[in-house]
Amino acid sequence: MSSASVLGQQARRTPRAWVLKVVPWAVVFVVLAIVPFEFPSFRVEQFCFWMTLAIAACGLNLLTGYNGQISVGHGALFGIGAYTTGILITEFSVPLFAASVAAAVVCFFFGLLIGLPALRIKGLYLALVTLAVATLFPLILEQFSSITGGSGGLQITSPQTYRGELRERPIRLESPFAGLANDQWKYFLFLGVTVVVFVLSRNLIKSRVGRALVAVRDNEVAAESSGIPISRVKILTFGLSAAIAGIGGSLFALNQGQLYPSSFTIVLSIYILVAVVVGGAASIVGPAIGAIFYGLFSDVIIQQLPDRIQPARAVILGVLLILLMLLAPGGVVGGFRSLQAKWVAQKNFRRARS
Amino acid sequence: MRKTSVQISAALLLGLALIGGACGGRNDSSSAKSTETTASDSKEVAFIDPAADCTDYKGTQGVTGDTIKIGTVRPESGSYAIYDNVTKGLDAYFKSANASGGLTAKDGKKYQIELIKKNDEYDPAKTPALVKQLVEQDGVFALVGNIGTETNKSVRDYLNENCVPNIALATGSTQWGDANAYPWYISGLPSYATEANAWVSYLKEVNPTAKIALLYQDDDFGQSYKAAIEKAIKGTKITLVAKEGFNPLAGSTTEASVTKLSQSGADTFIVGVGGTACPLTLSFVPATWTPMTMISVTCGSKTALSLASGKDEGVYMAQPTLDPADPADQSNPKVIEFATQGAAAGLDESAIQGGIASVGWGFGALFAEGLKNASTVDRAAVMNALYSLNDTTFGLLRDEVTVNTDGAKDPWAIEGFRIVQRENGAWVEKAPVTNEEGKSNSFAGN
Repeated sequence: MSSASVLGQQARRTPRAWVLKVVPWAVVFVVLAIVPFEFPSFRVEQFCFWMTLAIAACGLNLLTGYNGQISVGHGALFGIGAYTTGILITEFSVPLFAASVAAAVVCFFFGLLIGLPALRIKGLYLALVTLAVATLFPLILEQFSSITGGSGGLQITSPQTYRGELRERPIRLESPFAGLANDQWKYFLFLGVTVVVFVLSRNLIKSRVGRALVAVRDNEVAAESSGIPISRVKILTFGLSAAIAGIGGSLFALNQGQLYPSSFTIVLSIYILVAVVVGGAASIVGPAIGAIFYGLFSDVIIQQLPDRIQPARAVILGVLLILLMLLAPGGVVGGFRSLQAKWVAQKNFRRARS
Repeated sequence: MRKTSVQISAALLLGLALIGGACGGRNDSSSAKSTETTASDSKEVAFIDPAADCTDYKGTQGVTGDTIKIGTVRPESGSYAIYDNVTKGLDAYFKSANASGGLTAKDGKKYQIELIKKNDEYDPAKTPALVKQLVEQDGVFALVGNIGTETNKSVRDYLNENCVPNIALATGSTQWGDANAYPWYISGLPSYATEANAWVSYLKEVNPTAKIALLYQDDDFGQSYKAAIEKAIKGTKITLVAKEGFNPLAGSTTEASVTKLSQSGADTFIVGVGGTACPLTLSFVPATWTPMTMISVTCGSKTALSLASGKDEGVYMAQPTLDPADPADQSNPKVIEFATQGAAAGLDESAIQGGIASVGWGFGALFAEGLKNASTVDRAAVMNALYSLNDTTFGLLRDEVTVNTDGAKDPWAIEGFRIVQRENGAWVEKAPVTNEEGKSNSFAGN
């Protein structure tokens, strides 16, 4: 029996193990609930941004971690979600929630669109094609400036009464509770969506469909001979992954209230990939951990450094990533798992000796 | 057990985030509107009434003892880093004031100014986070001398909703003329529409059938010029025969656009771009095309024009300020004061003569003017003072330029220009100063 299943049985048997399982989650939820009340609103909005990144990373993780298709273009899908939401709200007065759903659907179809040719190209070549898409995306945004606002940006506005007149003003997510500020309300809304996305992804991975995804990743020939329709699996995974990234992008749009092409360059795609890799690909929680790590690095740690060093942040990030890959190729989650396995192995060894 | 370790790590991580970032905390006041009106305001009809206009008004945030904290955002790096010289001038003004005791408020008390600078690389996607940090974390009293049209627009709603002054914006976009909707903004430059109107007025005099080729920055800055030109030439014999848009953040140059425009048969070339793109544009003009070239006021400094490879000779400009590099202006007391005090505050010779730092110096002076005339050292009082300036001057404005503001009716401080032509690194006057008091908003096209 593997040490994991032995321990799983132990967890069911001893109260101590049960506590070890539940308490960390309880701590996590308590901390998440307190955070928006402890920080100024601009920080809370930064946390909301981290959540949108976590959602996009979750989507990418399904595709890359669990299904083995590399994409360095999820920033473009994130951007399509953001701009679709923005344009629907501003130009067509679509209500916020409906605009987000529509953005997810649009991104799903774009995912299918990319997934189709992806059947024929694998690995490095797929990465390059998605890289090209991601690089072109801001240029396309600037080209179609009559729809997207071009380099001047897209203000996501709705008619609101302000200082006595009805004006087009940036959207805001108004808090319906007296004790809750707008940014705090936004935080909990986003947290709810993030949790739902992650829970649904977890359920998908643990289901038969999830196992099919992994089977296709590990050995396409074996998967096909087991009766798995690999083309369909791969294309639909791309679509689903894109839809999830689109949800992230849609929330990003709602958080910012304004969109600029410079937010959706290839760099964003790399950040999403970094979040997946740093957190640990092929783990459920990994993308969230990676997104938080990346957010901490970019918005908190870097800001503390003197101004002169700040333009070199990409270099610093690169060095840290290389170090991480040398020390823990499986990301944070992978690192903990291997430490855990070593600890269990030592414990079993000691037990066997005694 | 595998999952447990992940959960523990997640919990630890979040705990770390909480501890690590909890410096700052939150200062929401649970009370509703403020009671910051002062007795002396009730006699004047104040343009801004914080009790009516603001929720959670923090009128004296950033004022501690005898120090006032001021924030500013500018492109310290990137292709628009040339504008950092403006901030250097602003910084020098405050340093110089601090050295002589500080800026004086109406009651005679002097305040030291602490200037906190942030770098947004001229990218409006970066500006909101930095401005919010300045307001919520650094707790500044006001923003002064913020650079960039799109960058200032990206934070306009936030600052106005939170009743935080944004004083002496380094942009003359026509949208800052909507003081009814956005009273917490007041520009430190003339409206681009008034500037464009000055060009067209001069053209009407010297070339009533002019054919204009326009190169414009494809954002609010350039589009302000374009709309105003189109409005001003309506009903005249002047025509706009060619126009090319240019994206300043794309990393490309204007060379291709200039070539296209040079083939349009135009006899007038208006360069509605800023930053280093402007002098580079001049250097791209082929020798075969010799139009009457007009440049933006943001391009007319010695520093900027030195990048034009000598092709700045003969260009025209609408000029509201004195030029520290122009021998004709160097004997003016304002220039002398700037040169001596600026040098004492650390500006080197090229910065003083460069013509860009002097603009920032003027922004500091505009803030000082607001502080001097405000009934108390309070955000709304300072803004109300700035919106009721009466026949004054500040910084290095030309002596004939009058400064008057009147709330939303006349939100523009600078509305006067003379037309000059470049000759040997100096300016020759072609038309004297005309002050279009109160008319700036009417020149804005749509």
